[in-house]
Amino acid sequence: MTTRINIGPVHPSTHGVLRLVADIDGDTVVNLEPHIGFLHRGVEKLVETRMYMQSPPYMEKLDYVAPLSYDEVYVATVEKAMGVEVKERAMWIRTILLELQRIASHLLWLGTMANDVGQFFTLFMWAFKDRDLVLRLLEEAAGARMFYVNMRIGGLIRDLPPGFEDSARDLLDYLDKRVREYEDFLEKNPIFMERMRGVGTISREMAVNLGVTGPVLRASGISYDVRKDNPYYVYGKLNFETQTRSEGDCFARYKVRMLEIKESIRLVREALNKMPAGDALGMPVKLILPSAKNRIVSVSRELPRGECMMYMVADPQRPYRLSIRSPTFINLAALREISKGCRTADIFAILGSLDVVMGDCDR
Amino acid sequence: MVGIFVSGYLGLSGTLGAVADAIAYAIAISILIIAFDYIFGWVERKTIAKIQKRHGPTFAGKYGILQNLADFVKLLSKENVVPKNSDKLLFLSTIPIMLALSIFLIFLLPLAPTLLETNIGLGILVIFVLLSFMPLIIFANGFGSGNKFAAISAQRSVVMLISYELPLIFVIAAAGMLANGYNIADIVNAQSQWWFAILMPVGFVVFFIAMLAELERTPFDIREADNELIAGWLTDVSAPYYTLALFLDYTRMFLGSLLIAILFLGGWNGPLLPPVVWLLLKAFIVSFFIMIIRATMVRMRIDRLLRFGWIWLLPLSLLNLILTYVVFIA
Repeated sequence: MTTRINIGPVHPSTHGVLRLVADIDGDTVVNLEPHIGFLHRGVEKLVETRMYMQSPPYMEKLDYVAPLSYDEVYVATVEKAMGVEVKERAMWIRTILLELQRIASHLLWLGTMANDVGQFFTLFMWAFKDRDLVLRLLEEAAGARMFYVNMRIGGLIRDLPPGFEDSARDLLDYLDKRVREYEDFLEKNPIFMERMRGVGTISREMAVNLGVTGPVLRASGISYDVRKDNPYYVYGKLNFETQTRSEGDCFARYKVRMLEIKESIRLVREALNKMPAGDALGMPVKLILPSAKNRIVSVSRELPRGECMMYMVADPQRPYRLSIRSPTFINLAALREISKGCRTADIFAILGSLDVVMGDCDR
Repeated sequence: MVGIFVSGYLGLSGTLGAVADAIAYAIAISILIIAFDYIFGWVERKTIAKIQKRHGPTFAGKYGILQNLADFVKLLSKENVVPKNSDKLLFLSTIPIMLALSIFLIFLLPLAPTLLETNIGLGILVIFVLLSFMPLIIFANGFGSGNKFAAISAQRSVVMLISYELPLIFVIAAAGMLANGYNIADIVNAQSQWWFAILMPVGFVVFFIAMLAELERTPFDIREADNELIAGWLTDVSAPYYTLALFLDYTRMFLGSLLIAILFLGGWNGPLLPPVVWLLLKAFIVSFFIMIIRATMVRMRIDRLLRFGWIWLLPLSLLNLILTYVVFIA
């Protein structure tokens, strides 16, 4: 006999307004159905009614954990439609900011994931504190803590402030140490390893068939990273590895993200050293004119949560249509497949390891 | 001590004196329990905050010492909502019963060599028999509340019971063997030279882990796993009863710490300070340790706990029993 329990949309560990309907038999999950759409704001349609550069604030509110990354995808799409080249220094700065944003996003994920497996907020608080330091650095560069809107066509709204590089280097040294501490804290805990190892396994084939991307895909042993395989900005000039694990379970997903934080730290350090001087400012908003050549464009980027693609049909003044392939939407669809047969408590470990942001999923 | 003082002071003797002593003792122990619960509630909030790099309560009183009082008053001022499809009797009676039971169990513990009025012959056995009723009462409450999360929590409570109760009893058997009896005073007196924690370290570890499960503390807070089952069996319990449940939580922790201190840490034995102070100090340190575990550990999964109980705790407790017999008795 199965019992149907309704988890959410308001529940302590659903990462936003996600509703899960679980059929459980004893302690085993027979079927799990995610119900989404509680945070749907119709952003894709809203964008059609706005001028091009009025939309970035909407984009940032899609994924409120990594707003800058989303902003960048949109601006890059518009740039491609306009046929505008990004200035050299602006490319370096964007890369640095994107990687800092990735670190911030992964730190938030780390805290909530530890919470999902029953850690009493300790790692959550530590990770949030460190995330806040990254946000403070981004504030220095972009002027706001969370919603930056500092991208302009062809560049940025402002150059990096003086002293940014030093404070960034200090913070990276500190984070390097902290991340190693977090790894020790979790991986030396046998109960944590027991909760993560062999839970919610996504095999190689399953990962391809489900279309998951980002760390979830890389944890299943497929080395695919847009930054590496289809490099944009200066990623081609920087020296970094695509982090993969072969197990495909929750622990692999955890480990891939932890390694990615370290990789991002290395990336930012390298970019800070190699960054050229020059002009990074973008075009004033008034001067943006659509180009007829590239009416239909698509841009793909590696976000902290996975691959995000924006497909745009450009019209003069405003987009005719914008379609977003959001990473969370696709990754969350895998939840149903992988949680069949797991224990009730594992639902939350798996959900935590997928790193869902409902704003990104529902759009 | 209190008892003798009261009857002597009032000039009463016989039955009347005994009644006066009992009442005085009851009041004294109740104040002690409330004081421990209150102070420990504050210490826990402050220390966990420090571990998590927060400040914890700061506004109410000096260092936020009055915060728990403020929360208590606020919670009591709330309406008590009883779910429509709950079994009213089970739902409303179980938490007060559990609280009364745990307070009663603290009364059964002699806190000093001079306070032996409540010490009964097979004290430690009686206490553990009554203590193992707790999960069953939780089971009744979980099913009585008519909430699915509470029902799952109730099932978990029974699964937990069968995974830690046997090791607990085997360890007590070994302690009883060392002390030549199950009288609490005998057990404490047997530790005047060496603590049982030193004489049977394996038993101490097993007992401590099983006690954590008994007290529903992390990593075994599976019944009220807050991010899986919302609040487990307390999901539908509203403010006034939830206050009692919090009170119950700390009272049980006090009881558990006292039991650990009495069985393994030499009870009231200690130099210089009066015996009561030693016992309470040890209980406080045990509670503090339990609290640090809470701040750092990850929750165990219920099936893993069952396996852990039967594969590790039970054989280890049996090994402890055999070792104790071979080394100290035979």
